[in-house]
Amino acid sequence: MCVSVSGHQGAPLRDSLRLRPPGLFRQQRNTGALLSVPSVDNNVSDIMALYNFKKIMVVPTAKDFIDITLSKTQRKTPTVIHKHYQIHRIRHFYMRKVKFTQQNYHDRLTQILTDFPKLDDIHPFYADLMNVLYDKDHYKLALGQLNIAKNLIDNVAKDYVRLMKYGDSLYRCKQLKRAALGRMCTILKRQKSSLEYLEQVRQHLSRLPSIDPNTRTLLLCGYPNVGKSSFINKVTRADVDVQPYAFTTKSLFVGHMDYRYLRWQVVDTPGILDHPLEDRNTIEMQAITALAHLRAAVLYVMDASEQCGHTLQEQLELFSNIRPLFANKPLIIVANKCDVKKLSELSEEKQKIFADLSAEGIQVIETSTLTEEGVMQVKAEACDQLLAHRVNTKMKGKKVHDVLNRLHLAMPAKRDEKERPPFIPEGAAMRRKAMEVDAPKRKLERDLEVELGDDYVLDLQKYWDLMNEDEKHDKIPEVWEGHNIADYIDPDIMKKLEELEKEEELKERAGEYDSDDESEDEEMQEIRVLAKQIREKKQLLVMESKEKDVHGPRMPRTATKVERKQLEKEMGNLGLDMSDKDDSHYAQQARRSRSVAVKRKRESSAPPTSRTRSQSASRPPRDQLGLRDPKMAKKAKKMMKNSQKGMNRQGRKGESDRHVFDLKPKHLLAGKRKSGTTDRR
Amino acid sequence: MFLHRKRHGYRLDHHEKKRKKESREAHERSHKARKMIGLKAKLYHKQRHAEKIQMKKTIKMHEQRKTKQKNDDKTPEGAVPAYLLDREGQSRAKVLSNMIKQKRKEKAGKWEVPLPKVRAQGETEVLKVIRTGKRQKKAWKRMVTKVCFVGDGFTRKPPKYERFIRPMGLRFKKAHVTHPELKATFCLPILGVKKNPSSPLYTSLGVITKGTVVEVNVSELGLVTQGGKVIWGKYAQVTNNPENDGCINAVLLV
Repeated sequence: MCVSVSGHQGAPLRDSLRLRPPGLFRQQRNTGALLSVPSVDNNVSDIMALYNFKKIMVVPTAKDFIDITLSKTQRKTPTVIHKHYQIHRIRHFYMRKVKFTQQNYHDRLTQILTDFPKLDDIHPFYADLMNVLYDKDHYKLALGQLNIAKNLIDNVAKDYVRLMKYGDSLYRCKQLKRAALGRMCTILKRQKSSLEYLEQVRQHLSRLPSIDPNTRTLLLCGYPNVGKSSFINKVTRADVDVQPYAFTTKSLFVGHMDYRYLRWQVVDTPGILDHPLEDRNTIEMQAITALAHLRAAVLYVMDASEQCGHTLQEQLELFSNIRPLFANKPLIIVANKCDVKKLSELSEEKQKIFADLSAEGIQVIETSTLTEEGVMQVKAEACDQLLAHRVNTKMKGKKVHDVLNRLHLAMPAKRDEKERPPFIPEGAAMRRKAMEVDAPKRKLERDLEVELGDDYVLDLQKYWDLMNEDEKHDKIPEVWEGHNIADYIDPDIMKKLEELEKEEELKERAGEYDSDDESEDEEMQEIRVLAKQIREKKQLLVMESKEKDVHGPRMPRTATKVERKQLEKEMGNLGLDMSDKDDSHYAQQARRSRSVAVKRKRESSAPPTSRTRSQSASRPPRDQLGLRDPKMAKKAKKMMKNSQKGMNRQGRKGESDRHVFDLKPKHLLAGKRKSGTTDRR
Repeated sequence: MFLHRKRHGYRLDHHEKKRKKESREAHERSHKARKMIGLKAKLYHKQRHAEKIQMKKTIKMHEQRKTKQKNDDKTPEGAVPAYLLDREGQSRAKVLSNMIKQKRKEKAGKWEVPLPKVRAQGETEVLKVIRTGKRQKKAWKRMVTKVCFVGDGFTRKPPKYERFIRPMGLRFKKAHVTHPELKATFCLPILGVKKNPSSPLYTSLGVITKGTVVEVNVSELGLVTQGGKVIWGKYAQVTNNPENDGCINAVLLV
């Protein structure tokens, strides 16, 4: 018994390689093309992650590039310099500009150079595809030119910085800086065509379909117009254009589908015509490249009805011509458009062709993408074949042994001759038989619902088991002959009720429903009593205070003097022993209160206590002077507040407050004078 | 994007919007041109000026086809309108001025150089005083502040004794030489400084300033004498200020 190894073995290894050390400095930024770099072992070619060419930086045109860099230099470096500054300062100023420009050019060019994929580093499928589409030589030349330009710019900057050390006047340094920047820009102007070409390449590259060369793939190939794109539209969610003219599909398209809980790629290619390799144009070459490099199951689509415009013989010719490309790949021949003409309706020679092919061991399946017959069968067959093929290759490879060595299937040793077959319960066995026979199942409610649609009503009464079948849908009355029907549901209902009541009584007597108070100890009970007292007292106090009806501001409790007698009484009520009257605290208070003016208890009719005795009682306070009634008083107060508003807003204490909180605000005084008038700050 | 368009067509107001946007372009451009200030404006106006010139040229070309032009070539040379008949021709004046020019040239010298007159460079400009000594009082050393040329086999005198310092950063070996007739520029190695117009001292030092006559190696050009010998050295005159530009531009003296 062996364990079949299937699925993504490469996944755990791939994930571990995805961790890259953080903090790589800018010039090594290679996150554009690759998502994970096999840094350890360059020979491990199957651990290459999915390619994402969309992250390449935009390549600006030469003119834009120059403009951007020069304006950046102008903005990011200091701009003010005078003749009378010290010469080293002048030199430094101009050297900084030259170096800044050089740095910018260098950085940008390096980024472009690293973002674009190196044809030697990527999967040969993509390398070939790019060669077909963009011409490898031209591509390499363009990148090489940019590299040269970068080095030239660096040299120019170096030279001019060296020269500037001998500059003894502002004019000289300035001219040298001008010459240096001009030279750098001229170098870049010469790269105009390279930059344009690279921008176009980048745009096209970002639109390439992301085909993972290592995963399970089905490849469709054949003459133009045989039905490859319709097939991929049927099987996946890809929306490829299907038109009656040839070469509708002009490039590779990818679709994804699921089978057996795994993700599969289906690649649609442009049609291939039958001529030798050298004569092929770019579009066909893409198909050939895909065929050559992707390890996929090949579905060679043929048109049995010859609607594509090519006879079956020609299609067979093509097949034999590109046969060498199918080496080591599981192959299925799809006879498409069988709704127009079935294989059995074909003439003898044509049928013989197909018979020959199947005799060679290649499976021939009839399909029609219009009626969808056979499409699923093709899919299943192709996927199974590819899986088996992949498993076989993996078994032959080296890595399998790592896994296999760790797997061990243990079979228990037989200890006696007794047969112990697996136990399958009857129900399961019967169900399985039912499934196999596919007997008509009981009609489900759901099916009924679907059938009736809106008319469906859930009718559970039809399942009732009554002696008289007609009575199923009758309405049940509530009262009959003076008796409650509900009482007679169960013949023993009265007895049951009595038993229940007895039980309840017993329970109650036993005290199950009493609260847990009895289980408390003495302390808890005391506390409960006290709490009750406190609650009562509180309520009393609240009621009292509500009765008091105090006008004006409420003084806190401690403001009023408490009489001694009352204090003693209250404390005595609470349980404190107040018999010890030798308290000096009392006596002192009493003495003090006698020498100072007697504090009158607050009464509503008394005038406010804020006045001293010296003032006569007839003078009203200042804020009530001259005001007839409370309405006027209110208005006066409002006016006072209004006049304060302005001062408050300005944060001033009064008219004479001229304090400035922020004498030199940063937002007014910092920064360059960019635009607008310069006659004020 | 085109696929989407094929499948779903345009928005219902797409064409209207496009037309209106295009017609608004002129207004937006004029608004921009009026409101822009600063360096951006300078660059923009320069660019726009060039564009306008081109536009005007094409318009003129188109118009030329439509209208008829007066053909100026038909009137013969020397034909004079009636009211000028008794004036003497201007040709004589021309002859006279030519003669004067000729005389002047003969006075000037043997060679015809592209830059006959050059500003003389004073010593303070070309040579910088270097103070030496324990108390920095001695001032007999000089450093050249201009671009200079030293030969291949040049070795410095011992530092204690050298009076003129020619810094390595200012030593150049190549010059960008333009052939006046071919109008092509070549980067040729310098063989030596022939004459510096400011002073013979500079010539001996090898200082290269504007107007210096320099000998360059022209074997690249592949010139041949009438006798069949290959010319490999020629004179060229420097046309720029090398210390300001960082390179030596010269014109070949043919």
